Amino acid sequence: MDRALKLRLETRFGEQLHGPVRQRHDETEIRIAPADVIEVLRALHDEPELGFVVLADLAGVDTGDTLQVVYHLWSGTTGDWLRVTAEGLPREDPRAPSATFLWKGAEWMERETYDMFGIIFEGNRDLRRIYMPPDYTSFPLRKDFYLADDAARSPGAGVRHMERTHAPTDLVAGSVRRSKA
Amino acid sequence: MTATLPPGTHASADDPNVLLQDDFDSYEPIPPYPPRTEREAEFYTLGDGEMYLNMGPQHPSTHGVLRVVLKLDGERVVDIDPVLGYLHRGVEKLCENADYHQTISQVDPLEYVSSLFCEWGPVMAYEKLLDVQVPRRAEYIRVLSGELNRIASHALFMGWFALDLGGLTPILWSFIERDEIVEMLAALTGQRMLFNYFRIGGVNGDLNHEFLSRLGDWMSRAVGQIESNTKLLNENEIFVRRASGLGVIDTDMALKYCMTGPNLRATGLPYDIRRAHPYSIYPEIEFDVPTRTEGDSLARYLLRMEEVKQSLRIIDQCLEQMPDGPIMAKLPRLLRPRPGRAWAALEGPRGLYGAYAISDGTDQPFRLKIHDPSFIHLQAVGALLPGHLLADTMAIMASLDPIMGGVDK
Repeated sequence: MDRALKLRLETRFGEQLHGPVRQRHDETEIRIAPADVIEVLRALHDEPELGFVVLADLAGVDTGDTLQVVYHLWSGTTGDWLRVTAEGLPREDPRAPSATFLWKGAEWMERETYDMFGIIFEGNRDLRRIYMPPDYTSFPLRKDFYLADDAARSPGAGVRHMERTHAPTDLVAGSVRRSKA
Repeated sequence: MTATLPPGTHASADDPNVLLQDDFDSYEPIPPYPPRTEREAEFYTLGDGEMYLNMGPQHPSTHGVLRVVLKLDGERVVDIDPVLGYLHRGVEKLCENADYHQTISQVDPLEYVSSLFCEWGPVMAYEKLLDVQVPRRAEYIRVLSGELNRIASHALFMGWFALDLGGLTPILWSFIERDEIVEMLAALTGQRMLFNYFRIGGVNGDLNHEFLSRLGDWMSRAVGQIESNTKLLNENEIFVRRASGLGVIDTDMALKYCMTGPNLRATGLPYDIRRAHPYSIYPEIEFDVPTRTEGDSLARYLLRMEEVKQSLRIIDQCLEQMPDGPIMAKLPRLLRPRPGRAWAALEGPRGLYGAYAISDGTDQPFRLKIHDPSFIHLQAVGALLPGHLLADTMAIMASLDPIMGGVDK
């Protein structure tokens, strides 16, 4: 793990970072606002002393309150893993810029994230559901969507029409797990 | 004629005596709803002389249940639209609702021909969350069984690839290889396919006599057997001329499409996680990262065959250096990692397998994201196919080696 990377990230992105640069095991993590994603990713990708040319993964996360988009990048210059977390996307209208301007391959990862979390990636020209059928209305990996044996209690369920029209009146809505990390 | 038909049915176009249900009109290529995106609208607009052809999801050479809508101009492919989700099981959601130990068997069937690597990612991520040191013997056993699994997977690739190019013999030969390996892994793990062998902090069982005797028996003739298998194809003029120049990728494009593994290395970039960001005991082991520069289907095939030889080297060294000791770290039965996040990446037979785990302090992972290389590589097919002949679609797709279990998580 590279201490120098921490310094470089702090000096380069200073104001844009939310909280400190965290390092644990062999990973470095920075947190940014969704509005800064384009600028930060472009700098990480293009600037030779950073050189994060490999996008290894793009994941959505539901913390229970807000949504996040998490990018895992690998640097060809220093051989470091970097996790960029765009945090604080509101549940009602989660929007983040698309990473397809740098990595065309992010297109399907964003489609998957949209399918599972409902995060709208602005700039992705093929943002439709990829796994679930086109008439599906829920976002299954959100924390307020429960598994089938518990689905009637899930406040985020939109597909179980039977249960929603005949909702049991005495059933208390289940609680949503919230992230502490 | 139509007035006499029962309501809700229509006569088959092929045989008017056969009645079909109106709503049973399954694989019409054009979706029955307005286009949702710019790209979908563009794809489902026909140009002059173009037509759609639906392939799958039950096509025998799509390697699983993949459906592809092809837009053709004569015999040339203009564009494709892969339709996924026929195998989607929601593994990530199931893992969020399962115990840490239970998730290992949930992720097993993702890439069913290389299950050990599917287990390895999440297990590594959990070990980072728990800050646990895995015993060295367990790491050696992991690498040993993992490399065997890699050879089994590449052997199957060779057979499938040749089968998609029209040769039946290689798949029979490669299954001999694969069968011997899965039998010895069955002696080690108890299963032929979905091993469920790695545990958080170690592995499930120590090396046993049956495994070692089968392994020794196979290793004594493996090199010769693999040589003769590859000679079957490498010196086959029909195969070589058919596969070369198909689906050419350069390094820039491969990086743009987030490709990893043999498909990236076939373009000339020696990016292998085992060397680029070493994990487990790979720093202690000598092996080369083979690369090729052509970036076509043949290069991807030849590269995988080179990797098999490197895997044999790794297995040799594992057996030689295998230390004594425990195979499991001491851990409580119920795992409650401190809240935190961990990312683990490793080099599987198809490329980078990743797992991103978040813990919230309970005994279930708060989020487990599995990154699967098959999903990424299948995406690149859309960029590789245009311009090629219809008969080459499967050859190109097979050369990227996607496994549908991993594509549809």
